[in-house]
Amino acid sequence: MKTRSITLYVNGEKHTLDVPVNRTLLQVLREDLQMPDTKYGCGLGECGACTVLVDGEKAILACLALAATMDGKHITTVAGLEKDGKLHPVQQAFIDVAAIQCGYCTPGMVLKTVSLLSHNPRPTEGEIRKGLEGNICRCTGYAKIVKAVQKASKLMNQDL
Amino acid sequence: MKEFSVVGKSIPKIDAKAKVTGRQVYAADLYFSGMLYGKIVRCLEYAHAKVKRLDFTKALKVPGVVKVLGPKDVTSKGFNVSVLDLMCTPEVKAMLGDAEDQHIFTDRVKHQGDGICGIIAKTEEAAEEAAKKIKVEYEPLPVYLSAEESMQKGAIQFTPEKPGNLAFQLPAAMFPNNAYGYGDVDAAFKEADLIVEDTFYVPKQKQCQMEPHAYVALYDDYGRLNCWTSTQMPKCVEVKLATLFELPMSRVKINQTTVGGAFGCRLGLVAEPQVCAMAMAVPGHYVKVQFLREEDWLASVSRHPGKYWMKIGFKKDGTPVACDAHFTSNKGAYCVDASGVAFTTGAWLQGMYKWGAFRYKGDTYYTNQVMCGAFRGYGNPQTQFVMEQLIDRACAQLGIDPLDWRLKYHKTVGDDGWCLGVKYKSCGLGDCLKQGAEAIGWKEKRAQYPKETGTKRRGVGIGVMNHTSGAMPMLLEHTTCSIRLNEDATAEVILSCSDLGTGAHTTLSQIAAESLGFAFEDIHLKVGDSDASGFDIGAHASRTNYVGGNAVIAAAEEVKKQILARASEVLKVSTEHLELREKKVFVKNSDTFLEIKELCSRGVCAIPDPQTGKYMMPPGQIQAYVSYFPPHNSPPFAASFAEVEVDTETGVVKVLKLVQAYDIGRAIHPDAATGQIEGGIQQGIGNVLIEDMVYDSKGRCLNNNFTDYKMLGPSDMPELKVILVETSPDSAGPYGAKSVGESGIITPIGAIANAIYQALGIQFREAPITPERILKALKEKSKTI
Repeated sequence: MKTRSITLYVNGEKHTLDVPVNRTLLQVLREDLQMPDTKYGCGLGECGACTVLVDGEKAILACLALAATMDGKHITTVAGLEKDGKLHPVQQAFIDVAAIQCGYCTPGMVLKTVSLLSHNPRPTEGEIRKGLEGNICRCTGYAKIVKAVQKASKLMNQDL
Repeated sequence: MKEFSVVGKSIPKIDAKAKVTGRQVYAADLYFSGMLYGKIVRCLEYAHAKVKRLDFTKALKVPGVVKVLGPKDVTSKGFNVSVLDLMCTPEVKAMLGDAEDQHIFTDRVKHQGDGICGIIAKTEEAAEEAAKKIKVEYEPLPVYLSAEESMQKGAIQFTPEKPGNLAFQLPAAMFPNNAYGYGDVDAAFKEADLIVEDTFYVPKQKQCQMEPHAYVALYDDYGRLNCWTSTQMPKCVEVKLATLFELPMSRVKINQTTVGGAFGCRLGLVAEPQVCAMAMAVPGHYVKVQFLREEDWLASVSRHPGKYWMKIGFKKDGTPVACDAHFTSNKGAYCVDASGVAFTTGAWLQGMYKWGAFRYKGDTYYTNQVMCGAFRGYGNPQTQFVMEQLIDRACAQLGIDPLDWRLKYHKTVGDDGWCLGVKYKSCGLGDCLKQGAEAIGWKEKRAQYPKETGTKRRGVGIGVMNHTSGAMPMLLEHTTCSIRLNEDATAEVILSCSDLGTGAHTTLSQIAAESLGFAFEDIHLKVGDSDASGFDIGAHASRTNYVGGNAVIAAAEEVKKQILARASEVLKVSTEHLELREKKVFVKNSDTFLEIKELCSRGVCAIPDPQTGKYMMPPGQIQAYVSYFPPHNSPPFAASFAEVEVDTETGVVKVLKLVQAYDIGRAIHPDAATGQIEGGIQQGIGNVLIEDMVYDSKGRCLNNNFTDYKMLGPSDMPELKVILVETSPDSAGPYGAKSVGESGIITPIGAIANAIYQALGIQFREAPITPERILKALKEKSKTI
C-alpha cells in the first residue's frame, strides 16, 4: 500500500504522519493520533457520528475523508471546542437543555451545530432540523437537540 | 406538594460535560499497551448451513496474526446470551426450558451472521486480512423464515431439545391449558353483542443504538478474567462468564463502560463470550473486539416479530366481556428470551382494560434469522398495535367515541396489573386521557376530519398503555446498595445500576442527596465496577430509577439510623429527641447540635484515651448496606394522541402532532423523563410506520445499514407535546415515582394506527404501515389490509 506524508493540524496542534493512501481521517484521529473523541458510528457516511470541522467551520465526515487528501488542513474535533477551560456555547447549550443522553452522537452533533450556526446564525426550527439530517440520534427524538441549537444561537448572538 | 431540595429538579446531568467534550470513554475508545485485536468471523452467505470444513492455514500465514480459534479451540459448553435464567429459581427455569443452544463459535450456522471462528492479531488490518483467508466449506440447509415454516412436519430441527422447533410456549405447569388469564372466555363470547377479531403482523424492529458493540478482555496474571463491556447487566454478565468459563466469580471482573444506547440489545451477553475466549487464548494480553455497524443487525438481538391474533367481545354499551389472544413469534436462531416476551405480550394486554374474561397464549418458533430478545417495551408495542386497533374498530361499530370508551373501561386502582394478583396502587390514566385530548383538540378534530375531501386526509387517534417498574413478581428483583460516609461526611453510594443514557446515574444521585439530607455535591455514585458493588439485576423492565432509587433510600435510612445512634450516645439524649437538618444532628426544640462531619471524622480517626480507654465519639466508619427487594412494581400508564395526514397519492403518512401524557407519579428529573419519552416516540413512530428488518428468500438481511433500515430523522419528527402527569404518585415508588425508561415507545403506535384509521377508514393489520401498503389498500378499497 502506497503511503503519503501529510501534515495535519488537529485542534491547533501540528502532526506529521506517513499514512497509507487508503487510511481514513477517522482512523488517523482515533488510532494513529489516539484521539478517541471522534466516534465511529457506521464507517459508511450514514450516521454523522464522525463529523469533524475542516479549515474553520466546514463539517465533513471523517470516515469518508481519506487522510492522504487532508495534507495541510486544520481539523477541529469536539475536544478542540473548549478554550481555556471554557466550553463552547454550543456545548453549554447541550448541557443546559439536557440534550445529551447516551452521548454517542453528541460530538458529531455538536460540531455539526457549530458548522450550521457559522453559516446561519439564526436558523429557523425547520432549518435546524434540515441541517442536522446527516446526524442520527436514537435516544432523544431530536427534541432537545433542536432546543439546544436554538439556545446556542441565542447565546452566541448575545455576544455579538 | 412537598418541596424537595433536589428531587424534581432538572439539574445538569452528571455525565453531560464529559460527553459534550468527547472525553467520556466508551469501550471502543479503550487503548492498552500491547493490545491485540480480535475479529469474529461470521457466515454471511448462508442463514442455515453446516460447517463441513474450516481451514486456517492461509489465515495463520498473514503477518501479524497471533491465533485463530475455531469451535474446537474453545469451550464446547452451550450457553444462552439471555440472562432471564438468572432471574428465576432453578425450578422455574426448568419449567420455562430456555435452552442453552448457543456456542462461542458454531459448526452449524443458524442465522446469517453466526460466528464460526475468531482471529487474534496485532492490528485490525491483519485480523481483517486473515478473516478473508479463512477457508470454509458449507453444506447449506433449508431456511425457515417464519414460525409457520419451521413448525411444519419434516422441518429440520434447530435443536433436539425443542421438538417441532417450538422454542417456548406458556408451560402448562404454570399456566393451565398453556394460557394466561381468568374467567371463561368462550362462555363470555356467547353473551357478546359484538365481536371483533383479526390477525395482525408486527415487525422485526432493531434497536440501532448509536454505539456499535465493542469489548476489551484480559486474562491477567492474577488468574482473573477482566471484561470491559457496555452491557446493561454487569452483574448478570459476571455470573454468565464465570459459568461459561468455569471460573469462580471472584476471578471475574466486569468493567461496565459507558453505554452508548442499548434499548434492550445489551440485556444479556452479546459478544462477551467471544472476546473473553480470545483473551483466555492469549493470557496477559488485552484483546479488543469491535463490531462493524453492519454486524449489529446480524449479531445482536432484535424485537420479536410474528403473528398476533386477537378477538374481543363487547356488549352494546361497550362493556368488554372477553378478550382472547394468541401471539406466535419468530424466535430467530437461538432460544434467547424465549419465555419472556411470549408471556409479557399477553400480560400487558391483560392489565389494560376491564375484560370480563381473559385468555392469552404465547409461543415462539425457531427461524433462521438473528435471534430476538429484549427491545424497549418487551411485547407491549406488539400488543398496542393490535389491541388499540380492535378497540377502535369496535367503537366505530358501536358508535362510541374511542376516548370515552377508554376513560370508562381502563383498569385502575384496585384492579389487577399485568401480573394477576398484583393490583394497581395508583393510576393517573384518566388525567392523561383528559389532558392529552385537550392538547390535541380531540373533540373538534374527530368531528371535523371525516368531513374532509381531497387527496390529503387527516385523522386523530388514541393509544393507551400500562407498563411496569421492575419485573417482580415474575422475575427476580434485587438491588444492593452501600452508602459509606467519608471523614468529611460526603457519601460514596455504591451500586451496580446502569445508566444507558437514561439519566439514571443522575437521578440516583438526586435520590441519595434527598434521602440523606445532603447537598447534591456531597454524593458520589460508584458504579460500573463489579468488584466494588454488590448485586443488581441491571437495567431492564424499567427498574433502575424505581428499584435502584428505593434501594438508595433504604440504605440512606440505615445511614441516618447510625448517625442518630452515635449522636444519641454523644449528646446523651434518646433518638426520638433528635432530628437531622443542614448536615447536623439537632436536639429537638433546642440549639444543641452535633456536626455529622465530626461524627464521621472522629469515627474514622478514633484513638482511645490511653488512660480511660474511652473514645471521644463512637469509633468506626459509618457505612450502611441493604439488600433491597421491592414489594411492588408500580405500573405507569400513558396515553398518546396522534394527528396524521395521509397523502392518498403517495401513501406517505405525515405525523403532524404527537401528544403523550404520561402518568409518571413523580418526575425525579423532569428533563430526563421527557427526554426518555421523546426518544421513545421516535422509536414508536418508527415501529408503526417505517422500521422492519427485511430478508431475502435465503434469509440474508437486505437492510443492515442506516440507508435502508429507515428511522425517523429530525425533519420527520412531528410537533411533540409531552405532558408529565404527577397527580397519582405511587406509594411504593421512590418519592412516588414510577418508571419511564421504556414506555414512551408504546402509545404512539396505537395512536398513529388509529389516526390513520380515522383518516382513511382502513385498518392496517401489518406494521410498519408503509406507503406501499397504504397505496395497495386504497387501490383495493379494502377496509382492513
